[in-house]
Amino acid sequence: MSRLIEIALGIVTGIGGFLEAGSLATAAQAGSEFRYDLIWAVIVGAVCLAFLVEMSGRLSAISKHTIPDALRERFGIRFFAVALIIMELVMFMVMATELGGVAIALEFASGVSYRWWALPVGFVAWILLWKGTFGLIEKGVSVLGLITLAFVVGAIHLHPPLAEVARGAVPRLPAHDHARYWFLAVSILGASISPYLFAFYSAGAVEDKWDVSHLTINRITAGFGMGFGGIVAIGALILAAIILHPLDVQVDSFAQLPLLLTGAFGRVGFALFVCSLAIACFGAAQEIALTAAYMLAQGLGWRWSENLPPAEDARFSLAYTILIPLAAVPAAAGVDILKLTNISMVLSAASLPVIVAPLLILMNDRRYVRDYGNGWFSNTVVALITALAFVLAVVSFPLLIKGGG
Amino acid sequence: MLLVHDVLDKQLTDRHGVRMGKADGLVMLQEGDGPPRVVSIEVGSLTLARRLGRRLGRWATALARRWGGKHTESYRIPWTLVRGITLEIAVDVDAEATRVNVVEDWLRVHVVEHLPGGRP
Repeated sequence: MSRLIEIALGIVTGIGGFLEAGSLATAAQAGSEFRYDLIWAVIVGAVCLAFLVEMSGRLSAISKHTIPDALRERFGIRFFAVALIIMELVMFMVMATELGGVAIALEFASGVSYRWWALPVGFVAWILLWKGTFGLIEKGVSVLGLITLAFVVGAIHLHPPLAEVARGAVPRLPAHDHARYWFLAVSILGASISPYLFAFYSAGAVEDKWDVSHLTINRITAGFGMGFGGIVAIGALILAAIILHPLDVQVDSFAQLPLLLTGAFGRVGFALFVCSLAIACFGAAQEIALTAAYMLAQGLGWRWSENLPPAEDARFSLAYTILIPLAAVPAAAGVDILKLTNISMVLSAASLPVIVAPLLILMNDRRYVRDYGNGWFSNTVVALITALAFVLAVVSFPLLIKGGG
Repeated sequence: MLLVHDVLDKQLTDRHGVRMGKADGLVMLQEGDGPPRVVSIEVGSLTLARRLGRRLGRWATALARRWGGKHTESYRIPWTLVRGITLEIAVDVDAEATRVNVVEDWLRVHVVEHLPGGRP
């Protein structure tokens, strides 16, 4: 039973990191504009993520050090300072997006503009971190997050053409709008392989006191959690292909997204969509707020744990206390959340090398992983992902300008 | 042992195995013609700021002088108290009895305990 509960860490990482405003919006955009053609990007994202998450968990289970710890210790303060600044900026943008996503869900539910919801949502996110424990957040998000399975159920319910779906799983060149196609592919990858996830997951492994005996559960968790997130994102993409594509709707605001589930379930679908969006984004916002504080605390050597009362780790707790309200400001100021989403997903993709490249070195450093280092297969995979990460970093900004509109 | 590779930036743990920050800097001493030797490990954000750049270091020092009270300088752990160096550096001090957590404690008393639920 306790092992089952441990899988929760994977599911919360899967929901919070994989399934959030970014993946939902990019999957819906992909489905509505290119039908099933971009399913491969979701799959590539999920597979890369599963591999990297497994490595992050293994690194921490064996060494008891987290990724931010290791970035500082192994690569020195200068490298760490650069990584810290890039990561905190990206995390700030993504957190602003997620808080905006929850606020939009509340606007759908209440009719009151999302601008008014941003700060209250931030406050609730803060109080849960301030008062709650890691386990509470982990289990709460994973249990509530199961509601997002509605996207999968909806997609199956509408009987998608399986042959076309399967064909979409293989990458191929687009028939039209090349820049837009690749922009969405990069956005999907950026939304899936979020660099902060690895820091979060490795901190989670230390919070949950993992050791060598957890390596199997770590592997299952990584595969299961990321598979879960990937399947839900594919469900959203298929729904968009079936429902939005024939209507010639190009997703240019969150207001169109409830159509995904109302098309499948009618009025109930609306409620399901609102809950899914709210929970997925809220989970992601919590995860990012924690990770932003972890990154500072672990790299700079402060005391940290979400399981300690704030008085015991004042700097850590105050870090997220300051960050959350700041991240609520863009939504409160009325920034277009979908635009913010696309920009933060591209930034997230661009920042990948900062975490992924060091991971390749760390997973082969015996002082950290002892006899549990990467084999040739994992090394090949992570080297390929690192190469992909550098490509994404280079192409993301030109694509944002050419295909982002 | 390589000082930069094996010591600098590593995690410090105290006598009870409690984490007490990172090795932010090293203090070396040269006497006579002999090679310089390490006398202590420094823990503190001022040291870090100085390592990141001269200007940042100067700003941090000025800021600390102005606002930091009397505990501005980094805390030094004598090299003779280093007990072992693996992935972590074990030192024979009691973190609670040092002032490595002076900022932590100040923030607890002056900020955290004034927020709702901040008092344990």
